[in-house]
Amino acid sequence: MLLRINGEEHELRDVRTILDVIEFFGLLGKPVVAEADGKVLTAEQWPDTPVTANMSIELVHFVGGG
Amino acid sequence: MKPDLLRIGDYELRSRFLIGTGLFPNPYVQMEAIKASEAEVLTFAIRRINLESSADDSILQHVEEGKHIFLPNTSGASTADEAVRIARLARASGLSDWIKVEISANERTLMPDPIETLKATEILVKEGFTVLPYTSDDPVICKRLEEAGAAAVMPGAAPIGTGLGILNAYNLGLIVEEAHVPIIVDAGLGSASDVAQAMELGVSGVLMNTPVAKARDPVMMATAMKLAIQAGRQSYLAGRIARKQYASASSGFDEFILK
Repeated sequence: MLLRINGEEHELRDVRTILDVIEFFGLLGKPVVAEADGKVLTAEQWPDTPVTANMSIELVHFVGGG
Repeated sequence: MKPDLLRIGDYELRSRFLIGTGLFPNPYVQMEAIKASEAEVLTFAIRRINLESSADDSILQHVEEGKHIFLPNTSGASTADEAVRIARLARASGLSDWIKVEISANERTLMPDPIETLKATEILVKEGFTVLPYTSDDPVICKRLEEAGAAAVMPGAAPIGTGLGILNAYNLGLIVEEAHVPIIVDAGLGSASDVAQAMELGVSGVLMNTPVAKARDPVMMATAMKLAIQAGRQSYLAGRIARKQYASASSGFDEFILK
């Protein structure tokens, strides 16, 4: 499935939910926040949020800052 | 004596030092500097994860869990809508509902956009965030942010990362005089004397990153800043003498021994 993740196109196989996308990138268990088509998701919502073709996904985290 | 606590939102803080987590030479020095600072509030930014790199570059792996309040910022936002979006992302982490609203319209000065900052503050307060907006050192906008429900208001002393110190002490003094929420000087401080000056003006705390992280010895500087905050705070509470034009002898002239 073609997805737009963090501004770049990614072709991912066998992903049905946001949780699958998080797992695909090896981010499970890490302090990650996901947004799908502009909707901010808590981790509890990942397994219940289906990914659809051309969905725009943001995966963000905390970095150093002032 | 009653402990001199800083109340922000639902929290009572012993430390008046809020410290940033950017620009440190390495995670070890950062952790040691945070420890030396005794700061209870740590600031962060929110950025996209680098999907190409397998390395865990999350800052949180270098921070002791449960010991700090996390204050994510909305840096990178240039509008209220962008700041609100970043704030919601930050809160979805489940780590904090505090947010430092930081909206810059000008890349060279990084000066805050007060109008967008006020808009974002109004929205985020309604959504239940504990909002600490970073703004310019203007007494009117600081008052407006307080009225919008900011938990603390954070005027800059000088542009971010400049280390120029307090450019307008008069304004900062006015802001403090009129405030009913904590005023925290955020950005522009360079050294311990700047920090002491800010605290002597009566601000409730300071937020610093660059002057600690980029000091030759960040850990020693974190200690120096902590002590300057304490010294400035006590000097403020103790009440300084009035400035006079001419000398007044410490012992008086009545019984001058050589006469």
